[in-house]
Amino acid sequence: MFDFLLNPVYATWIVEGLLLTVEITLFGVLLGLGLGTLLTIGDIYGKKPIKAAIAVYVEFFRGSPLFVQLFLAVYTVPAILNVQIDHYVMAFLVFGLNSAGYQKGYLKGAMETVLGDQMQAGLSTGMSKLQTLRHVILPQAYRIVIPSWTNEFCSLTKSTATLAYVGLSDLVSAGISIKGITYQILPVWLVIGVIYLVWITGFSKLMDVVYEKKKVPGVEFLMQ
Amino acid sequence: MADLVMEAKHVYKTYGRSNKKADTCIDIKQQVEAVKDVSLQIRKGDIKLIFGPSGSGKSTFLRCMAMLDIPDKGEIYLGDECLTKPGVDLNKARARIGFVFQHIYLFRHLTALSNVELALRQVLKLPKEEARKRALDALTEVKVTDCINKYPAQMSGGQAQRVGIARALVRNPDIILLDEPTSALDPELTGEVIDTLRDLAKEGTTMLIVSHEMPFAREVAEEMIFYDEGTIVETGPPSQFFNAPNTDRAKKFMTRIINRTTRE
Repeated sequence: MFDFLLNPVYATWIVEGLLLTVEITLFGVLLGLGLGTLLTIGDIYGKKPIKAAIAVYVEFFRGSPLFVQLFLAVYTVPAILNVQIDHYVMAFLVFGLNSAGYQKGYLKGAMETVLGDQMQAGLSTGMSKLQTLRHVILPQAYRIVIPSWTNEFCSLTKSTATLAYVGLSDLVSAGISIKGITYQILPVWLVIGVIYLVWITGFSKLMDVVYEKKKVPGVEFLMQ
Repeated sequence: MADLVMEAKHVYKTYGRSNKKADTCIDIKQQVEAVKDVSLQIRKGDIKLIFGPSGSGKSTFLRCMAMLDIPDKGEIYLGDECLTKPGVDLNKARARIGFVFQHIYLFRHLTALSNVELALRQVLKLPKEEARKRALDALTEVKVTDCINKYPAQMSGGQAQRVGIARALVRNPDIILLDEPTSALDPELTGEVIDTLRDLAKEGTTMLIVSHEMPFAREVAEEMIFYDEGTIVETGPPSQFFNAPNTDRAKKFMTRIINRTTRE
């Protein structure tokens, strides 16, 4: 039943698919974290037009399906600009831009719980707003946001299934190819499902450890 | 006036508070005049104490002095530099002012040592060893060397506030502004913090303190300032307030506060 796994060609497809899924997800959540941070700061401190632009950005990436965003990025945008852009590059970019839209929400919540008194304290010591953000606000906000960030990672990992729509070979497209040849539909999807499950669970558990390690000593005691 | 450290000239600050009533759709705009035409001079070595009813705007005035709140009108001078002029580098100015908060506001993710060190590294750009040495000296001065590696949530309120004071004084500021530094602490911890402030007073530190610690005021303050409804009502040496305040409002307030202190 699972003998397709022994076929080196299929095994290679699966491994390559998994690698793309892993790479694009990690790149996406990291770019999303960086860009999400900038969007959050812009949303909190920016003038009205900046806030409005950020709101449009966030609603676009949260409100429309990822595969539509992918389709636009991979086919439509290069066609309009009349340039050739590697599909992989555009796909990586879309995952980052999309994730930034979500992470802006998580980060804004986290930053707002920290900002009030801690910004005051930072400014009172002579640090600038930017220095206080960097050394006081963000280190605390990032700690708070780790569990939400882990959720974002899980969700984004499974979203890589949409890559098959634009002809990129992620884990699901490997599954589609293999089942198309072998007709072992259930076994193929079971294997693909288990691979997702193992990778996501493993990484999430790692992030749980990071979260516990990074907790500020004494703080959890206060919150009870 | 070369020895003038800080001066407030006719400072005003109003808060707009919107009281929207959901059921009537009436929007009552409430203006709170926290600071109304307040002027004050502080010379080198001065210790002045502001006191008055809660909600009267004392804290707002103090925050205006540090430009943590920007006054609507009037001028704040630090030495001979006017901080309320547009284009002034406020970060640079704030680096010369120490500020101690009522609710302490230590950086929650940093140890006591790092709390005190951070501005030395980021603002004064001191090398690591020198910053560490100065931070340790400051923490020794306020007698909290036993918790240099503790995080704010692991300290008692009194320890945390003394770290807060160390954070304010480590930069050798021209003046330290203290906003009710003991009012969030229980009486025992209040004593610890008051002892620290007394030490600073002995060393000639210039301080403007919002506080209701009357025995302390009597001991160290050159001048007491009675503040009510957004403005300075009466100014004078402690003896004036403890014996015979000039204004009825100050008289009433002193009676109330002295009764409370003796009851405790």
